[in-house]
Amino acid sequence: MQDFSIRKFYGWFTALGLLVGVLVIVGYYRDEYRAWKDYQRRYIQEEIHRAATPQQRLLAERIPVEIRQTVLPDLHRVDRCTTCHLTVEDPSYGGYPQPLSYHPLHEQHPFERFGCTICHRGQGRATTTVEAHGNVAYWDEPMLPMQYIQASCGQCHEPADNPAAPELAQGEQVFENSGCRGCHKLGGSGGIIGPELDKVGARRSPDWLKKHFIDPASATPGSVMPPQKFPDTNLEAIVLFMLSQTGESASGYYSSMKNLPNTRLGQHLFQSRGCIGCHSVNGNGGKVGPALDDVGLRRAPEWMMQHFRDPQSVTPGSVMPRFGFTETEARALTDFLIHMREQAVALMLPSLMSPAERGREVFRKYGCAGCHGPGAKGGVPNPNSKTAEQVPGLLHVADGYTVPQLKARINTGQHEIPALDPKRPPPPLYMPGWAGTIKDAEVDDLAAYLISLKPKDENPGF
Amino acid sequence: MNAPLPKRLWHWFTRTGVGRSIFRVGLPDSNLERSQAMVSSFLLHVQPAKVHRHALRASYSLGLGLITLYLFVILCVTGVLLMFYYVPSTDKAYDIMKDLQFVVSAGLVLRNMHRWAAHLMVLFVMLHMCRVFYTGAYKSPREFNWVLGVGLFLVTLGLSFTGYLLPWDQLAYWAITVGTSIAGYAPVVGEKLKYLMLGGHVVGQDALTRFYALHVIVLPALAVLMISVHLFRVRKDGGLSRPDEPGEVVQQIDLGQLPTNKSYGLMELARGTTPQVGMNPEDEIFSWPHLVFRELLLFLLVTAVVLFLAIFWNAPLEEIANAVHPPNPAKAPWYFLGLQELVSYSAFWGGVVVPGLLVTALALLPYTDRKRHGVGRWFARERVVANTIFSVCLAIAVVLTVIGSFFRGPNWSWVEPWKNPPAVTEGH
Repeated sequence: MQDFSIRKFYGWFTALGLLVGVLVIVGYYRDEYRAWKDYQRRYIQEEIHRAATPQQRLLAERIPVEIRQTVLPDLHRVDRCTTCHLTVEDPSYGGYPQPLSYHPLHEQHPFERFGCTICHRGQGRATTTVEAHGNVAYWDEPMLPMQYIQASCGQCHEPADNPAAPELAQGEQVFENSGCRGCHKLGGSGGIIGPELDKVGARRSPDWLKKHFIDPASATPGSVMPPQKFPDTNLEAIVLFMLSQTGESASGYYSSMKNLPNTRLGQHLFQSRGCIGCHSVNGNGGKVGPALDDVGLRRAPEWMMQHFRDPQSVTPGSVMPRFGFTETEARALTDFLIHMREQAVALMLPSLMSPAERGREVFRKYGCAGCHGPGAKGGVPNPNSKTAEQVPGLLHVADGYTVPQLKARINTGQHEIPALDPKRPPPPLYMPGWAGTIKDAEVDDLAAYLISLKPKDENPGF
Repeated sequence: MNAPLPKRLWHWFTRTGVGRSIFRVGLPDSNLERSQAMVSSFLLHVQPAKVHRHALRASYSLGLGLITLYLFVILCVTGVLLMFYYVPSTDKAYDIMKDLQFVVSAGLVLRNMHRWAAHLMVLFVMLHMCRVFYTGAYKSPREFNWVLGVGLFLVTLGLSFTGYLLPWDQLAYWAITVGTSIAGYAPVVGEKLKYLMLGGHVVGQDALTRFYALHVIVLPALAVLMISVHLFRVRKDGGLSRPDEPGEVVQQIDLGQLPTNKSYGLMELARGTTPQVGMNPEDEIFSWPHLVFRELLLFLLVTAVVLFLAIFWNAPLEEIANAVHPPNPAKAPWYFLGLQELVSYSAFWGGVVVPGLLVTALALLPYTDRKRHGVGRWFARERVVANTIFSVCLAIAVVLTVIGSFFRGPNWSWVEPWKNPPAVTEGH
């Protein structure tokens, strides 16, 4: 007789059914419990506590516990930071401990247009502290330490003359003056020996960058980059500048805000709109309009702004046309003119400079100093090269080269550097061909500069 | 009547007009009703009213085929739920993974269940094949069902592989890049095949669209069809394989002898080995409750295991796919790592010859090994040669997979996993 009782299955069904049930409950609890809900309840409690009238109290009690987010399609972001940081826009929470703290100084970058992670980085979509702050595996952009926060300005704004980001501007100066461009390409110009730096800020951490500047080979085995001996402030500044190079490209609304009015933009406009055709600086230029050398002393900025908007409104009978400058452009030009009296700025107008002076700028712009040393005096090590294991200085090129020879040398480069000892590894640094990168007119200027380097007091006919 | 309350309620419900219209038979109390319960239910009628004792022996089948089926069911359910969120777009797919994790209720558990069930299904298909081999169950009359099984194995790999790309992270992107490159090594058609799969020369939006369509429509539909035929044939071939018993004379009707100008009832054409004409009725036991309840219990167990894994271990998700930053080493999904290891020695042998020969040998196996002995027993002594060859191949595959998984580091160099891997930095 077969046993038809299903009683023997009861135990198994009970055990396995309970197991599945318990797992569902555990799974539900783990899914339902989120730390951000605690933060929101704390905020609601605080609001209830603060309520002075029954109406306010009722409003506070009705604040929903829910995910809050800023959706930023043009920036490819969804920032849920305000799910925990609920009070970033409420000044009355100034000085509160995080996450319920107030974020000062956001008038120019309203949260609903910019969110949080475009400046602070981290993982905007995440809703747990660790994940959101981004110090987790497989997330490339952890939150930027506050000491480097100015790097974020450089993602959109020109670093120079941004009064809010002096360290960023300093970093750019260090970058341009240390000859980094000799080997590295940034923004489309620079050498090809080292990697491009356009997105380096998104890939590298501050610590890695620091280590890399102090001892490149320890951060990147086999690197031929010479160690950089920056003073501490310069090191921090150039790390900050590198961090600003994220390759972030924002369109629409954001690109129209890209240019802060600054003297560099002003100088660019001054040249490109042909101001020099009518006005003169340092005695060079047209005579139709007044000379502008000391215009910054004669005129108030407000006057100049109005003048750019409508010249006749402040100078009746003026023949200057209305150029249709935007407010930003007008402010940039004003900025430039205010500083015009400073000789250094005036000298930066290429049309007012001698070829050798322009050549010095070319030397700086393309980072020649990176290999040939500051002022082309040499001294950068190039192990196992015949020229005393250094990259040669260029002070005496006038003795060995004619101008056409020099230009040809710059354009074609020298890829095989003669080795001192054939058994050792070949010298790592070489001269790239610059044709196509440095424009022809610039090569002319550069050659003029290099020829001019020959010390004057030496006896040429020895 | 002192039956428990749920049972009494059920009894009452199935006696009402509505209950009877749905279930036809209530909880069965007699042998007639036990048979009726099986035959009248759509879900149960796939199985016979009575099964052979042997089929219930857990130590024989280990329930591997059924576990695979349950995993497939779990995958279908979780997969459809995931489809409510997923968009096969290179711009959105990765963000949706993050949203599943951070803002969708139970989204993470859902994705974890799908991921772990998928890995388990590949594993259990393989284990099921091993069981069938070691018990000689592919022999006559089940030859073609084995071939269908090989086909289902390939469909399962295809389902897992196409699903691998969908999160659009670095892991997905480079595993598919490596996996499709292996296909590209095939002579003549390799490059074309790769192009057909990817809709281009590299993994991009077209590849994602194709993999998505294959993953949610083409391959699941194919799998459902093949699983149906596979199960149908299990039933038609007489249930699970078992040893021939003395006295069980197979009464084979020679269909060629029958007049062809009359119509026949089902029972007249039924094959000799089907249970209902088995010679030893005392070996047959009623499917209700003995088979059905065991199957239900196994489903609960599989669900519990998948839930457990999904609650406590998260499915991997790396950085968003980046075509210019390959990880080093880039690895294929685990079930292809044995092949990738072979490819590292020889692309042609590892990528083409070995997998081609293996699949062909597996498909032709029941037609080459035709002797009908050792069926229905594990590691039958009569089958020692076949079992040894299979075991050696299996061991090699396992060793290669383990090497590819754990012992290969940057540039596919040998590493020992218990030592700290050297820091990987990008060279200039």
